[in-house]
Amino acid sequence: MKHEAIPLALDETGAIERLERLVQREREGRLQAEAIAERGLRELYDSQVRLALLQRITDCANRSNDFSDAIGEVLKEICEHMSWAFGTAYRVDGGGTAVSCDAWFTAEPAPLFPLVEVTRERTFAHGEGLPGRVLRDGHPHWIDEAELAASFCRKVQAATCGIRSACGFPVMIGEEIVCVMEFFSRTAMIDKDAILLTVTQAATQLARVIERERARAALLHDALHDAMTGLPNRTLLDERSRAAFERLPESREGLAVLVIDLDGFKAINDKYGHHAGDIVLIETARRFDGVITARVGGRRRSDQPSWRATLARVGGDEFVVVLDALPDQVIARDLSGALIDALKAPIQVADEFVNVGLSIGIAHSGTGYISVEQLRQDADLAMYEAKAGGHGGVVTFSEALGSERRNRMALENELRDAIREKQFTLYYQPIFALATRPGEAERLRGFEALIRWNHPDRGLVEPGRFIPAAEAGGLIVFIGDWVLRQACNAMARLHADLSVRGLKPNELPYISINIAPQQFLQPTFSSHVQRVLLETGVPPELVRLEVTEGVAIIDPDQTRQVLEQVRSWGVKTSLDDFGTGYSSLSYLQNLPFDTLKIDRSFIASMDDPKSRKIIRAILDLASNLNLSVVAEGIETGEQGASLREMGCEFGQGYHLGRPLDETSAFALVWPEGTASAA
Amino acid sequence: MKGVIFNLLEDAVIRQHGLLAWESLLEMAGLEGAYTSLGSYPDSEVVRLVEAASTALGVSQSEVLRWFGRSAIPLLHERYELFFTPHRNAQSFVTSVNDIIHPEVRKLYAGAGCPHFHFHDLEDGRTGVAYKSPRQMCRLAHGFIEGAADHFGDAVEIEHLACMLDGLPVCRLALRWSR
Repeated sequence: MKHEAIPLALDETGAIERLERLVQREREGRLQAEAIAERGLRELYDSQVRLALLQRITDCANRSNDFSDAIGEVLKEICEHMSWAFGTAYRVDGGGTAVSCDAWFTAEPAPLFPLVEVTRERTFAHGEGLPGRVLRDGHPHWIDEAELAASFCRKVQAATCGIRSACGFPVMIGEEIVCVMEFFSRTAMIDKDAILLTVTQAATQLARVIERERARAALLHDALHDAMTGLPNRTLLDERSRAAFERLPESREGLAVLVIDLDGFKAINDKYGHHAGDIVLIETARRFDGVITARVGGRRRSDQPSWRATLARVGGDEFVVVLDALPDQVIARDLSGALIDALKAPIQVADEFVNVGLSIGIAHSGTGYISVEQLRQDADLAMYEAKAGGHGGVVTFSEALGSERRNRMALENELRDAIREKQFTLYYQPIFALATRPGEAERLRGFEALIRWNHPDRGLVEPGRFIPAAEAGGLIVFIGDWVLRQACNAMARLHADLSVRGLKPNELPYISINIAPQQFLQPTFSSHVQRVLLETGVPPELVRLEVTEGVAIIDPDQTRQVLEQVRSWGVKTSLDDFGTGYSSLSYLQNLPFDTLKIDRSFIASMDDPKSRKIIRAILDLASNLNLSVVAEGIETGEQGASLREMGCEFGQGYHLGRPLDETSAFALVWPEGTASAA
Repeated sequence: MKGVIFNLLEDAVIRQHGLLAWESLLEMAGLEGAYTSLGSYPDSEVVRLVEAASTALGVSQSEVLRWFGRSAIPLLHERYELFFTPHRNAQSFVTSVNDIIHPEVRKLYAGAGCPHFHFHDLEDGRTGVAYKSPRQMCRLAHGFIEGAADHFGDAVEIEHLACMLDGLPVCRLALRWSR
């Protein structure tokens, strides 16, 4: 490579010119360096400010449990950062509409008033206006000055406020748009990249707040609602009813508690399984909710002072409705009727249709109550009263009911003692084949076992005085079991004696034993009967189990199964108190009974032609169904004769024979003159 | 004082009087003269340069500052065009000084002591500008406003109603804009 000298300007003028160019280049180099450095500084500054902004927004998001708190602060931060005139936000409702959440920020409220006012309570449908477009497309939208003036739906107000540009941003959780932010500026929005970067990150933080809010709401909802039906649970009910109680006016009136229990629910659960039970509960809740919403809503529409209702599920098949600000107690009663009606239509469970009834207890607030819990207890009590009636229905709590209940509670306690102390005894009322001709003697055919309570202070107590309490308290199962075993035992002893004395099996008297519904519907009832038969050795064909119509109403299917089973062992079945309940022919036809017992009320009123017609109808029916008939409560010879004439074969009553203790009753079996041998 | 002011002064002098004129001014003021826009330099150095220019040109210091301000606007436009683009007239540009230009200056130079101009409407329809700064450079502001009017092709009449140079606590200018 050849080295040559770089040519230098030799003359002075040339040198100066070249030096000047050199200086000029240096200057330009410096300017460029400064510009580069300034750009770096500006970017550094901008990013620091943006980071600080996002830090503040993140802090705010971390602090806020509530979207409405956070959104105001976020709008303020963004508007101040961007020097924007006005920022607002919309929540997206279930129908996909952007609803203004009345959260907005402007540093200059007075000049921005027209735009704020036209915006703050606006709702934008999908695709409508700037928020609607963001909602539709799921991405930010920009509106420049030209579009703002031409087609913006709030263009008049925007122009009045000197707005030159606008933008809308979605706040997303996953794919879902949960909120739309909208900003307005008095200058053009030029640096869209920087705006996107900042607002999108702010939106992410806002989405976190909404997510947390949702998670909290879900937790709170779960804590206060029944998972299966979605109704308020006991906790929420307690909270609301306490609050309502606190709000009661001086009269203390206006609050009512309805305790609702499903009748026949357990049977559905047992028969079809828990899944079926769940379907029934969900459907019941849905129907109740529909009835209540329609009634409360109906009031609202007519613009009357409206009452409020909280429907809750508080236990397995127990619901409670708390009615608040009730102008009239009748409303509670009417509502109860409507709830009962709502459950009249059967509920479909898989391929079956099932029916449940309701027992509803109502208690109204008043000056006598010092806590809402007392009110609940009284409503409970009224519900049990309704349930004790056997067919459900509505009972409103009253003072009388209260004292009756207290007495019953005391009675229940005494009954427990009685069971422990074996204070019960059985009496036996003879049942006769009615004489076919005047002067002919009625022939003894059997006995009905009747319980008496040999009370230590009060002497012999009739069953009517304590059986309802025993049923209500669930003690009837124990007492009924004792009766069954005791009666079978006594009968077995009697039969052993009679057999020894040569009585033929077809001449032996039978024993009729009352079985309470609760006892009968125990899942183990039939096997229990079988055990008693085996253990006592009583001939099954001489045992008659008497059940009432109530049993069949509660659960016809199980009733049939049990009846069929006990009959397969030879035990006879008898339908007690016939004519007083539903007396539905359909179940009578489907249930395997041997005997009908005509209720004593028809016999007592036999003088009334109407009663006679009913008796005749029952006798015809029984004859068609091949059932024998026993008339109860025959108190006169005329009644007995008339019944016989009408074709009634058997009867019992004071006229024929009073209930007697075991010894006296069984003495009736012996032929004349041999009784003393017993 | 921010280096950019020295740079603008240097550019203005060189454009009007040539490269060596700036060198002469530095010599007269007894200054080293190595200024970069990113640096900060004592206010007194600007004062000494203005004094030197005043002496050299035989005009008052106020006139020098006013000339400087007016001449600086095209230079500023070259360097910082983004401050100008959003505006359609000089009035809009001038009134953005507090909200846009000075905040931008602070982005580059943390802690820059930018003066505040208070704009308000006067009863006679003119725009009032109140200015208060220990540097007392109201004439520079005056020149900037004139330069802005030149840039946007507007006309402005500027009246000094009160001046800190007369020992008053605040400078007050009245502007009448016309196109």
